[in-house]
Amino acid sequence: MRRIAAVARNTFREAARNKILYSLLFFALGLIISALALGQLSVHEDRRMIRDVGLFGVDLFSVLIAIFVGVNLLYKELALKTVYTILPKPIARWEFVLGKWLGVMATLVAQIVIMGLVLAATLLVEGGTEAVDGALAKALWLLLMNVTIVTSVAMFFSAFSTPFLSGLFALGVFVVGRSVPDVRALAERVGGAGGQVLKAACALLPNLHLFTPSGTALQGQAVSVHGAFVGAGYLGWTTAYAIGYSAVVLACAMLIFRRRDFV
Amino acid sequence: MMTGTMTDGESGGAGGRLSEPDVVLRADDLAKTFRLGFFRKRVDAVRGVSFSVKRGEIFGFLGPNGAGKTTTLKMLMGLIFPSRGRAEVLGRAVPDRQAKRRIGYLPETPYFYEYLTPEEFLDFAGALCDLPRAERRRRADALLARVGLDHARGRPLRKFSKGMLQRIGIAQALMGDPEVVVLDEPMTGLDPLGRKDIRDLILELGRSGKTVLFSTHILPDVEMTCDRVAIVAGGRLRSVGTLASLLSPRVLSTEVVLRPGAVAPALPEGARRLPGDDVLAVELPAGADVDGYLRAALDAGAAVLSVTPRRESLEDVFVRQAAGPESGGAPS
Repeated sequence: MRRIAAVARNTFREAARNKILYSLLFFALGLIISALALGQLSVHEDRRMIRDVGLFGVDLFSVLIAIFVGVNLLYKELALKTVYTILPKPIARWEFVLGKWLGVMATLVAQIVIMGLVLAATLLVEGGTEAVDGALAKALWLLLMNVTIVTSVAMFFSAFSTPFLSGLFALGVFVVGRSVPDVRALAERVGGAGGQVLKAACALLPNLHLFTPSGTALQGQAVSVHGAFVGAGYLGWTTAYAIGYSAVVLACAMLIFRRRDFV
Repeated sequence: MMTGTMTDGESGGAGGRLSEPDVVLRADDLAKTFRLGFFRKRVDAVRGVSFSVKRGEIFGFLGPNGAGKTTTLKMLMGLIFPSRGRAEVLGRAVPDRQAKRRIGYLPETPYFYEYLTPEEFLDFAGALCDLPRAERRRRADALLARVGLDHARGRPLRKFSKGMLQRIGIAQALMGDPEVVVLDEPMTGLDPLGRKDIRDLILELGRSGKTVLFSTHILPDVEMTCDRVAIVAGGRLRSVGTLASLLSPRVLSTEVVLRPGAVAPALPEGARRLPGDDVLAVELPAGADVDGYLRAALDAGAAVLSVTPRRESLEDVFVRQAAGPESGGAPS
């Protein structure tokens, strides 16, 4: 456990000293705060406008950060040859991969917490304490589960591909994953072999549509996902889905990494 | 498959193994074939290398660039999987975690996390060796002092010179207090002072009872530090043994330097005059009558300044073995 924690801590430290990540974070914070102005333009929907735009900002930038960090994670260790110093130590290769993943997840948790706090502060300024409720926390939790899968997918590609290609693949998976219901509908309409391929793709790729909340809340008890109000049960099974899917993808990344020659 | 000169009980197979307690590191018919490029071109980087390193010795792994040294060491460290053969560290097959606990490794031209300070980096290395925090701090302090980087403990590694990086690399290899230290080209790219620092450190490790295996193509460093050497070329082991056993005691030539008198003594057959301004320098071939020549020179009024017999050097052995058949073409 100490070894995994050491790799995770080092990965987090690397991210914390990366200026590009700070730039992305500042962009995200800028977008969230700019929602105040958009709120002023809307009529009686100012809180909802701020919440929706704010959550969009958290969603967009957390995914960008997850892909950016995830695709560079293992590749950078190989390209910079830092892995040559680490793996001869008494650490298993799967522990190294898991430590890297945990480090990125810690980074993303920190980023989402910061963005969430700024969004909450923005809502407080506009709507007072009533505007900040449990629904915001639920929405942020769903976005965290979303990037859990995105990070794992990015890391999986990073185990055998260049950052550019890994980034493209991960972005592709994200875009298709977000559109799973549309792709399913398309598969029904197309039918035949093409339809089967699309259905297989939907079965294989993560259904990221599950994690896209809007900001609507009902007395702080639920968050709206695609118009349907959800509670703890929905959060529970989507969390299990995100962790389960990530575990499978991560296990594949570990298997690939386990057999690699570090020339 | 092994070719070359085996001088002290080494062999290509299990038959020549040293007794178990003595051997801390063993390569047994190690081979690695890479498939490169679009057409999967076959490149045999290492073609069956066997040698053993005994407890407490400083062992030099010699070879020209592209000989297969780094690939062999990476197979011993579990970074590359052999296509054939077996690597053992402290009696366990690589990569065994128990064995990895007792070995320290410095890769060739090491790259470290440049955003870390030496203290942070050594703490990280210690944590990977499962050391508790207090012990990590104690060892990091001791090692930073030992490698002469105490003054730079707060500076990020990106601001380190090559020599400093090499020293912090050795420090990280020692964090787990290993019994065996493997250094891949530790002197490459260093200036003479930096090389001396690393050489002294290797000798100090040897004196403190650690087993050291290091690869290099810098021959004077080997002559000054190693108990035994292995010479590898073209992915094959050419010879292994003590320096004394590899070098022939036979005199190849004798260099005589004189301050000439009125008449220069006649040169014996096969001798040649060497360049020199105020002196007469002569190289006499093996078997020449050196005593006779010196007598003739003294009779002619010359003063003898020096007489130096030249025996086979490690460089001669290295060049001969490295230039042998199938000695090129393999990437290291």
